[in-house]
Amino acid sequence: MEIDPDQYLRPLPRKEPFNAPFWEGLERGEFLVTKCRDCGDWNWIPYEGCRSCLSQNLEWTAISGKGRLMTFSVVHRGPPTFGTEPYGVALVEMKEKPRSIVVLANIVETDFDTLEIGMPMELVFENIPGENITMYRVKAA
Amino acid sequence: MAFPQKAAAVVGVYTTEQARGMERSMWSLELEAIKGALDDAGLSHTQVDGLIPMAYETPLNLHMAWAEQLGGRPITYMDVGNGSSAVAKATNAIAAGMANVVVIYFANCNNPNGPRQLKVQSKAPRVPDWQFMVHGAYMSVWYAMWTQLYMHEFGTDQEVFAEYPVQMRANAMLKPDSMMGHKGPITVEDVLSSRMIATPLHLLECPLDNDGGYAIVVASAEIARDCKKDPVWVLGGAEATFTDAYMTIPVPWNEPKGQAVRRCTEMAFDMAGVTHDEIDVAGLYDCYAVTVARDLEEMGFCKLGEGADYMKEGHLYRGGKMPTNTDGGLMANSHNGNPSGMHTIEVVRQLRGECGERQLDDPKIGVTLAQGWSVHGLAGTLVMAAD
Repeated sequence: MEIDPDQYLRPLPRKEPFNAPFWEGLERGEFLVTKCRDCGDWNWIPYEGCRSCLSQNLEWTAISGKGRLMTFSVVHRGPPTFGTEPYGVALVEMKEKPRSIVVLANIVETDFDTLEIGMPMELVFENIPGENITMYRVKAA
Repeated sequence: MAFPQKAAAVVGVYTTEQARGMERSMWSLELEAIKGALDDAGLSHTQVDGLIPMAYETPLNLHMAWAEQLGGRPITYMDVGNGSSAVAKATNAIAAGMANVVVIYFANCNNPNGPRQLKVQSKAPRVPDWQFMVHGAYMSVWYAMWTQLYMHEFGTDQEVFAEYPVQMRANAMLKPDSMMGHKGPITVEDVLSSRMIATPLHLLECPLDNDGGYAIVVASAEIARDCKKDPVWVLGGAEATFTDAYMTIPVPWNEPKGQAVRRCTEMAFDMAGVTHDEIDVAGLYDCYAVTVARDLEEMGFCKLGEGADYMKEGHLYRGGKMPTNTDGGLMANSHNGNPSGMHTIEVVRQLRGECGERQLDDPKIGVTLAQGWSVHGLAGTLVMAAD
C-alpha cells in the first residue's frame, strides 16, 4: 500500500475508559500520573491499585514534565509507517519520587547528535491531525 | 520439600525446518514437531497425557483443541511456561502423579517480531494504551536502549559485544541446518560496518526473525528407561517474573540485587545441588549481546557490570570453560518468535552426545536460561544431567 506522507499512520493508543483522565489531561497540556492518596507513591503506568500498598484511593495528578534522559536510541530501521528518516526513542525518568516514573516517548525538536544519557529532558504535547488524540513526546530541556 | 530430581527426563526433542517466509500453518509445524519429538523418544501419541503449549498468550481452549488432535483422550496436565521452566514443571507434575508423558511445543509462522510486524493500513491502527509500538519501539529498539545504558554505566567497548555474533556465526557453521551457517564466517569489522538498525545496534548484532517449530518430550523415569535414546535427567528448575511486559520501567534498570533471572537461577541451582563451576554446557537466552552479559551477571557467573568482561575472556565460546549456544543461538541458528526451547534442545543434544562436528567433549551437566525483557521479565532456569 502507498503511504501518504501527510497522513498519520503510526499506531495510536485506544484510550481505554480507565485512563480517560490521562488522555483528557494531554489535551490541556498536562501529563497526569496516578498518585496514591494513602502512601504518596506515584504509579506509572497506571494500575487499578497502588503498587506499594494496593490502595485503590488514587488521584490523577499533574507532574512537572521535567526529567533526565535514562537512555535512548536513534532508530534507522523502523516499521514502514515510521518513514525513512531516523527517529528517536527515549526513556525519560521524571523528577517526581518516590517510585520512579519512566516515560517511553519519541524524541522531537532535538538534534540527535546532542543526546547524552543524564541530560535534562521535558515532556511536550502533539495534537495528532485527523485523530481525536493528543500525544506526548520528549525533547531536550 | 526437595525438587523431585531425576523423577523425569527429557526423552525426545525435535526441530522443524527454521526459515523465513514459510508457507505452512502454525498447527502443521507444531504437529510435525510433536510427532518428531515422540518418534525421537520412541513413544506413541496415545501415551501423551500432559501438554504445555508455549503460545505467548495461552487460553485453555488451546489445550482442549490439542487434546482432540492427539486422539480425544483425557489430558490430565495442562500448563504454560518457557523452554526451561516448562521442563521443570513437567517433571514436578510427573513426580506428583499428574501425568506420565508431557509434550512442550511451539511454532511460529508469519508473525514477525521485528519492524515487519506492523503492516501499513489506511488509517492509524489503535492499540492498547501503553503499547510500545506507538513509539516505534520494537524489540531491537528496546535492546538498543539497554545496550546504550549498559555501555554507559560499565564502559563496555562496542567490540566486545560485536564479538558475540562473530562467535555465534562460527558455531552455526558447525550446524548443518542452522539458518546462517552456510553464509560463512564474519568478523568484528563486518558486524560494526553492517547497516545501523537502532543506535548502537547494527544489523549483525540483532537476532533472526524467522518461522519454525520445535517440541520437547518429558517422561517419567520408568518410561524414560525404555525410550530409544539415553535419558537426559532433570536435576532442578524454576521460573520467575516480576513486572509487566515492556510497560513499567524500574529504576535502577540494572538492579544490583538482581531480578527475575537471579531468583529462578538461585532456586534451580539449589534444587539441583550444583555449583557454577560444574556446568559443562549452557544454553543462555541471547537475543542481543547485552542480554548474554546480563544473563551471566544475574545467574551469578560474575558480578553486575562484569558480564561483558566475562564474554571478552572467552569462557562462553568454543574451547572456553562453559561453551554456550553451540548451535549459533538466536543470531545464527534460529529465532522463531518464542525460541527459548531451542536452547534446551541444543543442550539436550550435547548431553546425549549427538552433535556431530560441534559436539563438546563428554559434557555431563548443562544449564539453560529462558528470559524476556533483558532479565526482568518471564524467566526460567533448568539444570539437566547426562545419563
